[in-house]
Amino acid sequence: MIVSALVLVPILFGLALYAVPRRAAGIAKGASAVLAALVFALAALEPQAPDATVRWLSRPFAAAFHLGFGPISFWLVLLLALVTFSALLVVRGSRMREIAAQLLVLQGAMNGLFLAKDVLLFALFWDLMLLPVFLVLVAGGTHGRTAWKYLLYNLVGGLALLLATAAFGVLAGTTDVIGNPAARVGIGATWGAWIFAGFAFAFLIKTPVFPFHTWMPETYADLPPPVVAVVSAVQSKAGLYGFLAIGVPFLGPEMAQARPLMFVLGLSALLYGAFVALAERDAKRVVAYSSLSHLGLILLAVFSGSSLAYAGALVYIIAHGLFSAALFIVLGAVEQREETRDLLRLGGLGARNPQLAGALMLAALAALGLPGLAGFAGEILILTGLYRAGYGWPAVIALLPIVLAAAYMLRVFQSIMNGPEHPDLPQRRDLTWLEGLAVAPLVAAFVWLGIDPASVVAAMVAGGAHVAGVR
Amino acid sequence: MSPAFGSFPVGADYAALLPMAVVACTPLVILFADLFLTGGGNLRRGVAVGIAIVGLVIAGVIEAGQYPHDYAAFGGAFIEGGFSIVFSEIVIVATVATLLLSAGIGRTDQVAGTTALLLWSASGAMLMSGAANLMTVFLGLELLSLGLYCLCAISARSTAREAALKYLILSSMASGFLLYGSALLFGATGSVAFAALAAAPLTPLFALGAGLFLVGIAFKLSLVPFHAWTPDVYEGAPLPVTAFMSVVTKAGTLAVFARFAYAALPPDRASAILIPIWVAAALSMLIGNLAALAQTDMKRLLAYSGIAQVGYIVAAFAGQTTLGLRYALLYLAGYTFMNLGAFAVVELMSRDGDAVVGIPRFAGLAYRRPWLAAAMTLFLIGLAGLPPTIGFTGKILILAVTTGAGYAWLAGVLIVGTAISAYVYFKIVRAMFVHADPAHVRDERSRNPLPWLAVAVCAVLTFALGVFPLTPSNILPLVK
Repeated sequence: MIVSALVLVPILFGLALYAVPRRAAGIAKGASAVLAALVFALAALEPQAPDATVRWLSRPFAAAFHLGFGPISFWLVLLLALVTFSALLVVRGSRMREIAAQLLVLQGAMNGLFLAKDVLLFALFWDLMLLPVFLVLVAGGTHGRTAWKYLLYNLVGGLALLLATAAFGVLAGTTDVIGNPAARVGIGATWGAWIFAGFAFAFLIKTPVFPFHTWMPETYADLPPPVVAVVSAVQSKAGLYGFLAIGVPFLGPEMAQARPLMFVLGLSALLYGAFVALAERDAKRVVAYSSLSHLGLILLAVFSGSSLAYAGALVYIIAHGLFSAALFIVLGAVEQREETRDLLRLGGLGARNPQLAGALMLAALAALGLPGLAGFAGEILILTGLYRAGYGWPAVIALLPIVLAAAYMLRVFQSIMNGPEHPDLPQRRDLTWLEGLAVAPLVAAFVWLGIDPASVVAAMVAGGAHVAGVR
Repeated sequence: MSPAFGSFPVGADYAALLPMAVVACTPLVILFADLFLTGGGNLRRGVAVGIAIVGLVIAGVIEAGQYPHDYAAFGGAFIEGGFSIVFSEIVIVATVATLLLSAGIGRTDQVAGTTALLLWSASGAMLMSGAANLMTVFLGLELLSLGLYCLCAISARSTAREAALKYLILSSMASGFLLYGSALLFGATGSVAFAALAAAPLTPLFALGAGLFLVGIAFKLSLVPFHAWTPDVYEGAPLPVTAFMSVVTKAGTLAVFARFAYAALPPDRASAILIPIWVAAALSMLIGNLAALAQTDMKRLLAYSGIAQVGYIVAAFAGQTTLGLRYALLYLAGYTFMNLGAFAVVELMSRDGDAVVGIPRFAGLAYRRPWLAAAMTLFLIGLAGLPPTIGFTGKILILAVTTGAGYAWLAGVLIVGTAISAYVYFKIVRAMFVHADPAHVRDERSRNPLPWLAVAVCAVLTFALGVFPLTPSNILPLVK
């Protein structure tokens, strides 16, 4: 009941927002934020909520609308609710109502994805979550191409996922297996490789991982700040979650076989993302490429087979969600004030906007992995895990982009906040209370996670770590 | 000696044909009632359409009442059973939707005649759904087509006459193939009954006959490479007729194809004979979608999309599995609702006497007419195979049965075709959600509220079938 509500209520509420008159858009936005907060509270207070199951298909394989909390999905649902809440607070402009509606639909669809205990249901929400982002891009994008790129890349991945799911279902007899350690899925080696390839293709596009990333910088640059905060913070984790929830338990041998290839892809993403981020002029694109780099590190952890690295991956998934959402929201605030994201044109904002500067500083420090903040906790766990599992060289190579992260993140901060002010840029205000309210919970969360990551890891392990593949 | 010649028909034989007879006799009532109505008032339209819908509903109720019943009427010429009943119901629903879509086709003084022709065509499709010998198949096919030749030509536009002529000539040619194939099959086996064909040895004459028969079927299904007539005919015909053809012709022909593939060709020889059909289905998915990419007129776009969609349905039959038959029926029902819904939206957007509804007409629709845009989005994402629609559920089931039957390559082609189709359908979705300059778009509103009913029903069913993919469990046997 509760888990179904987490999926259906945001979607239905979001659709209902279209019935709200446009002049009442402010009320729609406020109500949406309250709903997101309620979703957070509901998920946080009821982690033991029972599963909800409705039979869907029986032949040629069994499938069900089966939703329920798992040890990872619980945290992802919380992260999503928190980020959606923050994003909704900073929705602005003439399309306020539509964006708020699409954010809620997106939240419902992604809750469905994370709570799905059936691979087919997972595939359903995988496709469904494309639509709100596509519609936001279509309605407000500056380039028509961006929306197409986003849709076609991700849909092709989704179709590969669908075909793999069909084959998985036919061979296993059921797709109602996620989070069920008792499910013995007998997939032969011949088909296993193909099925894994289908899943992996979809997951790598979505994450994205080099060389499937070309849709990502454009999409991130074109999306309004609240939506890009959610997409970067949570939607990009869907693929990694897929590897953990479906790949590790059911396609373990194939995951091990693919390890060398995935290590190469992950390290390429790490290095490539970091170098491009160093060179980009557009602040949003810097953060986009830094995401590419950070998610490459998580990919290494997911394929390492080490329980320590898995724990690190989980912490870093949440940490990245928190600080990338904060970064995009703060950069949105900067762009709204200065009407540009060009690092060469911006400058000197910090003197009169101490709160804005403080927020950007904290988020940037978390992103570059400063000890005491969440990014560091995840990185150190992953790197230690990799090293202990015998992957010394990958761990060493992965250190370099972490050093580069300090360079590009500080460059973003310096270019925006320090230095002389450009006289031709408009007048500035500091953070409004609403923007402050949006950023504060994210900052609080990544500070807490940085200080006490063990509590999250412990909760995940206690919640049934076998599902996460922690051995 | 076939039992058809050895026994007299009894009451049960006629009872099996009763729904079809109701649909075929309703036009007589319509034409008779029309004698007493003159002038061009809405009453005249309303009476014709009203009687037709009542007749169809009665037929649908009788048909549904026969559901568990399984009976070979007229010595096996017409098999009444779950299979024929589901197809007939699809035909009936599609015909009702067509009537709602248009509130009668043509000028008011033509409506009684066009409605009668439409119902006769529908009864032909219903006959095809139960046809289990070569003669009944031909009878049903001709009954279906004759009405459509006239209906295509009903509009005064010159393109309509061109379309009608093209349809007449090419469809007659297809009938010729089918008839010649039937004759050869009769020559090879000495029987017209599907059950007898299944028992006959595979001679070259049999193979040639089956091949020609299947060419005729492929023509009517507009499978690639026999598809070239479809876009022109769809474009020229009045919109409701196009909608009707896109569903009912395909449903009737699919019923014949399924029965032929499953019952007249036993699996050991069918797999060899049918390979060209699977290849044609694969080509339809690819070429239908590729050609749809370039279309800007909605009718042509939906024509090409229909070519591809039929390819998906035919793919479900690969390997002749029972599950494949069930899910082909399911997807056909879903296609019916998605496609008719899309046509109903196009009808609502067309002005009187307006031949062409192009994609630019959809610009900014989401902001002018949000409900219509929402419904159209649902139909289009369904046709593209995205959730939460029957398009998604149906497609995963087809993928599963084709993969399970050993036709993984066909499933792969289906996926590639779907990927191409995404651009086709999302082109329209995109247009609807782009902010358009209101000065460039005239806000056209149809005066007729009935299409709204069709849109609403189709939207609800497109969604509901996706969540509850009900399929009839009792569809076999196909012949006796």
